Amino acid sequence: MQKHRSSESATSVLRPTTPPDIGPQTQRQRIVDAIVESCAEKTYAATTITDIVARARISRTTFYKQFDDKRACFDAAVDYCLEELRRVAAEAHSPSDSPAEASRKAATAVVVALTERPGFAQLLTGDAIAVDPKAIERYRKATIPALEALWSNNGGAPDTHTDPRLAFGQVQVLILNQIATGKADRLPELLPEIVYLAVSPFAGHEEAINQSRFVKEFELSGAAER
Amino acid sequence: MIDNSEDLRKWRLPRGRHGLPRELVERSQRERLLAAVVRVTVANGYESTTVGDILGEAGVGRESFYELFDDKLDCTLAAHKILLDNLEEQVREAYTGSDAWPERMRKGLEATLSWFAADPDIARFTLVELSTVGPAFRSIFQTEYARFTQLLNDGIGNDGPSPELTGAAELAVGATLACIYEEVVLDRAAELPRLLPDLTYDLLVPFVGEEVAREEQRRAAG
Repeated sequence: MQKHRSSESATSVLRPTTPPDIGPQTQRQRIVDAIVESCAEKTYAATTITDIVARARISRTTFYKQFDDKRACFDAAVDYCLEELRRVAAEAHSPSDSPAEASRKAATAVVVALTERPGFAQLLTGDAIAVDPKAIERYRKATIPALEALWSNNGGAPDTHTDPRLAFGQVQVLILNQIATGKADRLPELLPEIVYLAVSPFAGHEEAINQSRFVKEFELSGAAER
Repeated sequence: MIDNSEDLRKWRLPRGRHGLPRELVERSQRERLLAAVVRVTVANGYESTTVGDILGEAGVGRESFYELFDDKLDCTLAAHKILLDNLEEQVREAYTGSDAWPERMRKGLEATLSWFAADPDIARFTLVELSTVGPAFRSIFQTEYARFTQLLNDGIGNDGPSPELTGAAELAVGATLACIYEEVVLDRAAELPRLLPDLTYDLLVPFVGEEVAREEQRRAAG
C-alpha cells in the first residue's frame, strides 16, 4: 500500500511549522492537519489518537481538551476540508462569467486544490464514507446549492437535465479511483469528466461537452504544470 | 479453489445451529464460513465482527477456519470476490448479445439493479461494509472498478458509440455505483429497479447524446 501514501506536497502544506508555544486555535488546527495526514497515509480505521498527537506534536491532554474522541476530530477535519474547497470554488469565478463558465472554473479550481492537498481528497472520498456512509449528504449540502445558485434566476430552482446528486456521486467515485490507483498527484487528468459533470445536470450534454472540451484544450496543461 | 458457480446470495442461514436444512449442513465448511461472514458483518459491522462470531454463525471450528483463511479480512475479501464474480457474470450475460448497444447497456444496468435489489444484505456487504476494512479497501475498490469499466468498454464493440468524453465508461460505472450505494445506505435497495429509466438516461447521455438516451429511457419505463 506504499503507493497510497500522501505525496510530498501534502506533507509540505500540512506539516505544522509553528513553534511549540501556541494558542488553542492553532493547536486545534494542528490536530486537524494531523488527522488529515494520518488518514491519507493509513486510513481512518488504522489511525489512533497516538498517531494524531505524535504528528501534531501535542499532548493527549491537549487533544482531549479540543475533541471528545477520534470521531469528533475527524468530523472537524471534514468540515475544514469542505470549507477550504468552498472558498476556493467561490474565489475561482466572477459575476461576469456565464453559469457554465463559472461552473467550469469552480470545478477546475477545486480539482487543482485537491491535487495540491491530496490529503483532502483521500479524506473526503475514501475515509468519510467508511466513517459515516451518510457523509455524502454533508458534501452535497456544501456543493449542489452552490452550483444551483449559479443557474437559478430570481432564486428559483434551475432546470435539470440529469440528476445533480448523481453527478456529485460520480465525481466522488472518479476521484476515489484516481487515489486508489496511486495517482492522487494526477487528479487534473479527470478535469474533462469532472467539468462535464459539473455542467451537464443544469445545461445538458452539448454545453457540458463544450466546457469539457475547453478545459481539455486550454486549462489541462496549465493545471498539470502547477 | 471454490467453484464460481456457487451462489452465496441464495443462502439464508438460520440464527441457531438447529434446524439447518440438510442441504446447508452438507455444504463445505468454506462455503458456510463465507456465507456466515456476510451475515455477521452486515449484522454487527466489520469492525465489531470477530472470528468467533463467524465461527458461531457457520458452526465451524476455529482450527478449520485458520486452515482456510489467514484472518477475518481474508475471509471477508474472499466472500466479496465471489459475490462480485457472480455480479459480473450476470451483467455480462445481460450486456452481451445482438441488440443495439444502447439496449444492451440498458439490459446490463437492469441486471445490476436487480442483483443488488435481490438481497439487501449482500448489497450492504459488498458496498458499504467494504469501505470499513482499512487500507485494503483502496486496492479492492480499484480492482473492482477497473473490472466493470473494462466489461463495459469491451462490450461497446463495433456497433457502439465512440463518445467524445474519454471517460464515459468510468462515468457510467461511477453513476451506477453512486446510485446503488446511496439506496443501500438508506435501506432502499429493494426499490432499485424503479430507478432504471432515469439511470438509463443518465448513463447513456455522455455516450450517445440526449435524443438516443431519451428513447432508451422510454423503453426502460415501458
